[in-house]
Parts: sequence; structure tokens; C-alpha cells
Amino acid sequence: MFLGMEAGQVAEPVPSAMGERLKESLRRPWVAAVLVIAVIFLALVISHGLHAVAQTGLNGLSLGAIYALGAVGLTLVYGILKLVNFAQGDFLTFGAYMAYLVNVTWGMPLVIGIFWAMVATALLGLLFERVLWGPMRAKHAGFLQLILMSIGLAFLLRAIIQWFWSTDIRVLDVDTTSTVEFLGLRIGQTQLIVVIVGAVVIVAIGLMLRLTLLGKRMRALSDDLELAETAGIDTRRVINYTWIFAGALAGLAGVLAAATTNLRPELGFELLLPIFAAVILGGIGDAFGALAAGMVIGVMTEWSTLVIDARWKTAVGFLVLIVVLIVRPQGIFGKAKAI
Amino acid sequence: MNDAASNGATLLDVEDVVKRFGGIHAVNGATLRIREGGISALIGPNGAGKTTLFNVLTGFYKGDRGSVTFQGEEILGDHPYEIARKGMVRTFQITKALAAMPVIDNMMLAARDQPGERLRNVVFRPRAFKAREVQVRKQAMELLGIFNLRDLADAYAGTLSGGQRKLLELARALMAQPKLLLLDEPMAGINPTLGRRLLDHMQGLRRELGVTILFIEHDMEVVMNHSDRVIVMAEGRVIAEGEPHEVRKDKRVIDAYLGNVAVDNAAAGSSGG
Amino acid sequence: MTLAVTLEALTNTSFWISVGVLAGTYAIVALGLQLNTGFTGIVNFGQAAFMAIGAYTMAILVLNAGFSFWLSLPCAVAVTMLFGVIVGLPSLRLRADYFAIVTIAMAEVVRLFAQNARGLTGGNQGLFCDLDNPSNCYTNAWRDLSDHINNFVSNFWGDPDSLFPLLLVIWVTVGISIFLLRRLQRTPWGRVLRAIREDEDAAQALGKNTLVFKLQSLAISACLGAIAGFFLALNLATVHPLDFEPLVTFFAFSVLILGGIGSYRGVAVGAVLFWFVLEGTRFIDLPDPPFTETRIAAIRLAITGLVLIGLMAFRPQGLFGKREEMVLGE
Repeated sequence: MFLGMEAGQVAEPVPSAMGERLKESLRRPWVAAVLVIAVIFLALVISHGLHAVAQTGLNGLSLGAIYALGAVGLTLVYGILKLVNFAQGDFLTFGAYMAYLVNVTWGMPLVIGIFWAMVATALLGLLFERVLWGPMRAKHAGFLQLILMSIGLAFLLRAIIQWFWSTDIRVLDVDTTSTVEFLGLRIGQTQLIVVIVGAVVIVAIGLMLRLTLLGKRMRALSDDLELAETAGIDTRRVINYTWIFAGALAGLAGVLAAATTNLRPELGFELLLPIFAAVILGGIGDAFGALAAGMVIGVMTEWSTLVIDARWKTAVGFLVLIVVLIVRPQGIFGKAKAI
Repeated sequence: MNDAASNGATLLDVEDVVKRFGGIHAVNGATLRIREGGISALIGPNGAGKTTLFNVLTGFYKGDRGSVTFQGEEILGDHPYEIARKGMVRTFQITKALAAMPVIDNMMLAARDQPGERLRNVVFRPRAFKAREVQVRKQAMELLGIFNLRDLADAYAGTLSGGQRKLLELARALMAQPKLLLLDEPMAGINPTLGRRLLDHMQGLRRELGVTILFIEHDMEVVMNHSDRVIVMAEGRVIAEGEPHEVRKDKRVIDAYLGNVAVDNAAAGSSGG
Repeated sequence: MTLAVTLEALTNTSFWISVGVLAGTYAIVALGLQLNTGFTGIVNFGQAAFMAIGAYTMAILVLNAGFSFWLSLPCAVAVTMLFGVIVGLPSLRLRADYFAIVTIAMAEVVRLFAQNARGLTGGNQGLFCDLDNPSNCYTNAWRDLSDHINNFVSNFWGDPDSLFPLLLVIWVTVGISIFLLRRLQRTPWGRVLRAIREDEDAAQALGKNTLVFKLQSLAISACLGAIAGFFLALNLATVHPLDFEPLVTFFAFSVLILGGIGSYRGVAVGAVLFWFVLEGTRFIDLPDPPFTETRIAAIRLAITGLVLIGLMAFRPQGLFGKREEMVLGE
């Protein structure tokens, strides 16, 4: 009796006050996400000290920049063309080897290599749009058909790379030994460049998507392709630019990944799942979400090494992916669309 | 309230149901009551929340607030399959014929109490469900006969015309032995001949099987001639409920719904003159 | 440059038997995918994880827990099916594309675990025999049976190949699996699965608890995955994380697509075709420069890629799929 009454009394006020506040915060999940990150940050600072957290966080930024750049293109293509592009990872690999060709084989500066990697990967994206994705859309191919095709494409790209460069591990002509120190933090020179290049490009993408007409149209298409079509947007042109955009950024991400580690044919495929994690965490089709989520996953991955053995750190991205999909499939930064 | 349609007991009691999407209240405190044995039409301007209400009633959307009582039992928050098993079966605005399955399989799928749908029985008692399967097939063929689809029993549902698919979906829903049938625009996109046949079926079902029907419809002529109760929704609420001739005269309905038509007609008239 | 096909190699029985073993193993993997993707509409990209869990559980039970090999098999199947249910319970509520991504991520977590939980799984060394007692290998019981079979077979065939018993057992398993799956498919249960593949909402609106059916479909697929995992482990005589990469699942999908979505028998034909073409490339006698070993591997990968792309573009129902039941196109 007594217990029953108590339970009844407790149960009443919950939905009114607490529930409303909870619902409110769930409607702005990125606030909750920032809070969670802040709590993790504080907990790590208390247990491991600010220095360790900042140092690993700095490493995380360079990883995060690679994820973020890889994820923007993937999310736009996913959102606009409803294509889950499993070949995106091999676009990164392709970019990396294009830079290798210029930088090591032809002995030219890496900057030119980066430029060529971006151009070549963008052209590759455009090529496949012309010969594969465009015609398949015209046939109203289903999503599984497109996924399997993209997996086939991934195999093909990897095979081409393996044909020309074998499976040997290669490195770009970058300085991997010198380090830069500031505020007591140590970072490899190459890594610092990766962070800076990544940050600059990410800001530039953000501005481009927000300010230019093309960027707005990409986002409009990613929201609703058919609606954009009826609204009179030249969708073909925007789709072409999306592939150029996605390809160039994937190429860049590939070079940055190769610069901080090394080149091997599986390079991109190994990055694919954390990149997918960023896409889903950011909300499919949401370019800003993908950028933010990529950085978050990069930093989280490196922070995890403070708590668990470094060999487990790759699992962090996967676990984030699984947890997000199960808890909130529309992503943390994504709008609450009907799924 | 003590008119003809109040003879039967209350079958479905919808009380103050709310469904929000983000900040939009698609259904905003809808209240209505369906009594056993009638054909009710749910009408209202586009965006009134009719289909959303259907989705909440049948469990496809989770209602944010309110109560839905079906045969005296609260069902708000139940899964769609639970609601269907309790006897409220729906069709969809865009027909969901299972295209890559034969028509007969579409029908037999909907049968109740088929022990062969349990993996356990399939593995350990493979013969047990055979008898039921024969029964179900017979029942399915009878229904297909009523709907003039018998000859198409072995055709893939994907090869049927739009109207035939509508008929199939209705027949399939009946296989599930519903007490209350919710039809979302059953007449939309089918030719008048088939439409008339469908309407006849609806009348027949009510008489012979005692199925209660609630249907969404836009064609006012159909609504006025074929329903014995009309429920009018606007902006997520039920604004009027009654017999067709009453609703037609209701001032709130004219303002919210028919009013638009009147205004349109007036505009057309003035431009014409 | 001469492209000669060496006749001697073509008649190399033991080579073709090993290819048959591979094809049979992949047929079993792809049968599970057929049930999931072809008949339930759930795109399971995590099949490699089920193989891994089946193989590792079997090996760990035999080597660490002292189970007999024959007892370890049903236990490992049970563990794998349970894992499938646990994974499916939250993830099968998701949209098909999300489910595909979640399952591949899950498979990678399983593989990372196998790679890093060295105490349990032997890490990158893999599992084969008890290190303290090298004579205790998980393959022992199988070897005995295998010898018995070959003793019997030698009555008809002078010197049977050592892999022949495995080939026999695998293809008998394939045959039984196809028989049972086809029967299952024709029951009312199978009808509900197809309805879910066509339109899950419609199935729910007709009173079917679709989540339960999808879980059962995934669990059966997990069972087949585990069995394929056993055969892989017996064939390679080791259980190693690299044998359960996502590539394995994708190869199995190639087998599935080649055979045709919606046809169980097609899967068996697809598996044979896929592996005989892929392995057959070994017999085209290519001069070493420029055809190095990694380049030939690259060609094989390229063939797989082109097969996938070509089928998806021109014949999405696969070689033996029914056009009416083509579930990929819409």
C-alpha cells in the first residue's frame, strides 16, 4: 500500500517538468552532444591532466580533418543521389597514389602533388557519374543495386592501384621526423600541416556551402532532389559539381592520410568506416554535420588511447557509429526528419 | 446524437489525439467516435491531418498525447501488428500490393491464425499447418471471386492495373477479418467503373460481414451518397461530425472546407462574368 | 608473349578439389545472404562476423575449455545465433541502408576483437593447436573422420585426395541446406518473409510482427555463417582474423548476385562459377614480368569488381534469378 502510493506520487510530476526539459534537449541533440563531449573532456582532464588531453586531442585533430574531408563528399553524394558509395574509401586511396606519382615518382613538390591528386580524383568522380551513376539513376536502380555496384567499383579501383603500385608500403616525400613545440605540446611538422590545411579547407567548404549559390543548391538537392528539380534547379549541373567537390576533397583527404601514415592499397578502405560514422553522426546529407562529426570522431579516437590500449582505438569510430544508429539514426547534428 | 448511426456500440473512441512533427501539430487534439456497423467518411482539406490520424490510429506513428480506445481497449502506443490483430485493419493511400508475390500469396498472407507462420511449428510440426493452409486458400479464392480477381490468382501482383491493385488491397484487408476497416482514399486513381464496383463492395461488406468502415475521401459526391456518417477534419482537429446532410449545412464545415470551394466558385464566377 | 594454358594444371585434381571446397564454403555463406537479402529484404553486410564467431567459438571451446570437437559445433552455432539475435534486436528496426552499415561496422568490431584480445583468440597468430600441448588441435577429430572416409573411398578411387572428405561433407551440407531452405520458403513463414521484403509496412498492417521474422531470418543466416566458419577453419587448419575481413562478405555477395537474387539453387551455381573463374586464372600461364603475383591478384580483384558492376548494370536479377521476383530494380 505504502509503496504503491509512493510510486504513484513519484510518477506524476516526471512527465511535466523533467520530461519537458529532456524533450527540449533532445530536440537540440547537438547541445546534448556538446555536453557529452565536455563531460568526457573534463573527466579526462581530471584523470590524466590537461597536457595529455591536449596532446592527444591535437593528434585527434589531424585524424579528424581527414575523416571530415572524406565525409563531406560522401554525405553529399549519399544525400543527393541516395547512393551509399562504398568506393569513397578507394577514392581516397586513388588521391594518395596520384600525389605519390607526382611527389615521389616525378620528384615534384608535394603541393603540386596535392593539387594533381585533387584534380585527378575529381575527374574520376565525374567519370563514374557519366558512365555509371547517371545511367543507373535513369534506370531507377534500387539502393542495393547501387551499393553493390559501388563495392564492385571499389574492387576495381583497388585492383588498378595494386596493378601499378603493387601492395608494397610506400611513403610520400615528407618530413616525418621534425616536430614543432608550442605551449608544451609536441606535434609532428607534417601533422601540423595536415591540421592547418584541413582547418583552412574545412572553413572554406563551410563558407562555400553557406554563401555561394552552388553550395545552397547542393544542400537543397540533398534535402529533396525531386523538389529541387521542380523548383527549376539544373540538377545535372549541380550533381556534376557535387562529384567534383566530393572527388577533390576525397583526393585531398587521401593525401593527408598518406602523409601522416603511409600508402598501401587498403589505405582508403580502412578509413571508410570511420568516415561512414562521421556521415551518420552528422546526419546523412548534412555537410556541416559531417565536418563537425568527422572532427569529433577523430578527437574521440585519439582521446580513447588515454583510457584503453591504442590497438583498440580503431574500434571507437565503429562503436560511435553503432551507438548513434541505434540511439538516434538521424544523427546528432541532423535535423529530426522522418526516417 | 441520438440519430440512426448511434444504434451500435462504440467501436473506436478517439480522444484528444495529438501528433507533432518538430513544431508542427499535424494532428492537434482530434476527438471522434465510430459506432459499430456504419460507413463513415473522413473528409477535410489537404493537410487537415487525415492520413496522419490514420497512421496514429493504426500504430504507424506514435501519438504524442491522447487516447485511442478500440473495443474498449486502449491501443495508443501499440505496435501496428498488434492493432491489426485486434481487428483494425487499414489500407494505404499509395497501394501496397506486394508486387513480386502472386495475387493468391498476397491474399493468403493476410489470413489470421496460421500456425505455419511460426518457425517453431514449421520445423517441428510441418503437417500441422497444411490443413489451415487449404482453408485459407479456399477463403482467399472466394474473396477473389467476389472482387473479380479470381482469374488473376496466380499472376504477380506487380502486373495488375492500378485499380485492380486497389481491389486486391481491399480484398486482402478483408482476409484479415477486420472489425473496423480504415481505407485511405480507396477511390483515388482508379477508373469510375472499378470505383463503382469498389463502392458496391463497401456497401455489401457492411451488410453481409458486419464490417465497420472508416474511409478518407475527397470526392464529395461519393461521400454524400455512400456514407452514413461524415467526420470533418481541419487543421488537425475534428470540427464537425454527423449525417451527410447535417454536415453539409454545418457552418463551421462550410467555413473551413466547403467554404474554400464556395470562394473558389465565386472567384471563378466573377472572372467568368 | 605466349598465353598458354597448361594442360597438366587443368587436370590437377587436388587443385580443383581445393577450389570446390572454397566454392562450397562460400555457397553456404551466400545461402544465408540469400535468405536475408533475397527473401527478407535485409542487407546483411556482417556475415563475415558470424563466420568468425562460429570458427573462434569452436576452436576456443576445443582448445581452452576441453570440449570435444563434435560437442563444440552445436555450442558454437548456438553462440553465433544468439549473437545474431543480440545484434539484430536493436539494428533490425533501422532502415535497410543503415542496417547494412551497422552490420559491416559490427563485423569489423568482431574482427578487431579477434585481432586484439590475444589471450582468448591468439591475436594475429590465430588459433590452431594448444600451445602447451601441440598434439591437441581442433582439427584432430575431423582428421580421424576424414581418414575413415578416405579409407572407404579408396575402395573405389586408388589414392583419394586428402581434401576430398571435406569437399564431400561441405557439398552434402550445401545440398541439405538448399533443400531445407527451399522447403522453409514455401511455408506460410516463408511467405511472411517475402512480404517483408516487398513492403514491411504492409506486412505489419496485416498483423505480422515483422521484427520477429527478421530476427529469425538473421539467426538462421548466422547459423549458416557459423557452419561456413567451421569449414573454413578445417580447410585452413587455423582460425585467423584476416580470414574474416569484410572482403569475405563482399565475395559472398558476388556469389549471391551471380547466382541470382531469389534463387537458392542459383547460389550453388554462382559459387562454383565464381571460384572456378577466379581460381582458373591461375592456369593461364602469364609471363612473370609484367604479370607478377600481386598483379595477378589485382586482375582477380578487378574481375570480381567488373562482374559486380556488370551484373548490377545489365542483369541485376543475376544469372538464374526470376525477373518477376527481381527485388533489386524498383
